[in-house]
Amino acid sequence: MPGQTKRLIDSILERRSKGNPTLFFATKTKLILKGVNPDKYTAESPDDPAMIAKVRAIAAELGVPV
Amino acid sequence: MPIQTAYSTKPLPDAVTELRSKLDPGAQVVLFFASAGYDAAALSRQMQDAFPDACVAGCSAAGEIAQCRMLTGSVAAMSLDSETVEDASAVVVENLRSGIDLRAAFEKFENHFQSAASTWDVAKYVGLVLIDGLSGAEERFLEKLGDTTDVFFVGGSAGDDLRFEATEVCAGGKASTDSAVLVLLRLRRDFTIVKTQSFRQFGKSLTATAVDEARRTVIEFDYRPAIEAYAEALGVLQDEAVSHFSRHPLGLMVEGEPFVRSPQKAHGGSIVFYCQIKQGMELEVLEATDIVADTRRAIEKEKAGPHPIAGLIDFQCILRTLQLRNENRCDQYGAIFAGIPNVGFSTYGEAYLGHLNQTSTMLLFR
Repeated sequence: MPGQTKRLIDSILERRSKGNPTLFFATKTKLILKGVNPDKYTAESPDDPAMIAKVRAIAAELGVPV
Repeated sequence: MPIQTAYSTKPLPDAVTELRSKLDPGAQVVLFFASAGYDAAALSRQMQDAFPDACVAGCSAAGEIAQCRMLTGSVAAMSLDSETVEDASAVVVENLRSGIDLRAAFEKFENHFQSAASTWDVAKYVGLVLIDGLSGAEERFLEKLGDTTDVFFVGGSAGDDLRFEATEVCAGGKASTDSAVLVLLRLRRDFTIVKTQSFRQFGKSLTATAVDEARRTVIEFDYRPAIEAYAEALGVLQDEAVSHFSRHPLGLMVEGEPFVRSPQKAHGGSIVFYCQIKQGMELEVLEATDIVADTRRAIEKEKAGPHPIAGLIDFQCILRTLQLRNENRCDQYGAIFAGIPNVGFSTYGEAYLGHLNQTSTMLLFR
């Protein structure tokens, strides 16, 4: 099923920002600095196992259970 | 006493005596930034002795900023009063080159503030981060810091007057290399963080397709030797590319805002940067604009806010400082901050969410 990367990224953004727009921007910036640009992924993006593993690792670094 | 700033060009111990006479003796926090001409260990000890009840921290610099002046060979300092800071704590994280572990630092903070880090209100707590500017550890350190907390930390990499021999960070009366100092403040005032850089998009992008992250080196952009692809993007000969580095760094874009990555030198077909670029990162080629005009615009915007600026700390890239010195515009830059108690230093890298180049990161107290 496509879009898993986006769902993981959205989960990180939602949990770390807790509805705070400033924290949303900060979390998005942290992701981009880690090499994952949330804007590059949509619900139709094909699932790349390597990218999914990378985003899962980032989620773990950020303390977000996914 | 409100936020106070001072500087001294005297040697030790007279410099500290002079600073003490001009700063708030009852300050909650005292920050200092000093030329590498000062013995950092002696300065740190004397500053802590001069303000025994304050949280005292600082670092060596590549030029100091205070009272609207861009200085050299000085110690610049700021005292933060209890109307501004409710509580503060500083910790030193040592041995950065052998790995970054912030657990002990945050345990100290949690003990000091008697609360779990997860409960800290990011509108009340703000951090300062000063890192050994020759450690090469900034990216790893700041990434770990950002993983650990949502509290915003702003700061810069310590300098040493362009000697590139040793940079030192100071806290609690000590000085150390291969270390970082974190200062966590619980504020009574509001605060704003400003990140300003003087670049616009040039209309070309490059994707890093082969990198050596640890050496801050891009080997290939778009599957071609990095220097060749960079030169082509600018429309210049490969031999001329290096001379365009300072006016045309690259930007990692976040919602239209560049996080600047500055090329340092060519190495064969590769380009060595002042900060890491990860494999697969897409970067915009940037074009320089006017530092004074852009910084003035950023500060005027903040001045127009609902609360006056009670104090400002400026972490200014040494590359910006060198450009201002070369253009003889340091006075114009300093004048931007007229009427605002301000202090800062010229850094070997700026910190805000990550490690930055050719940027000014600022903490403004309201």
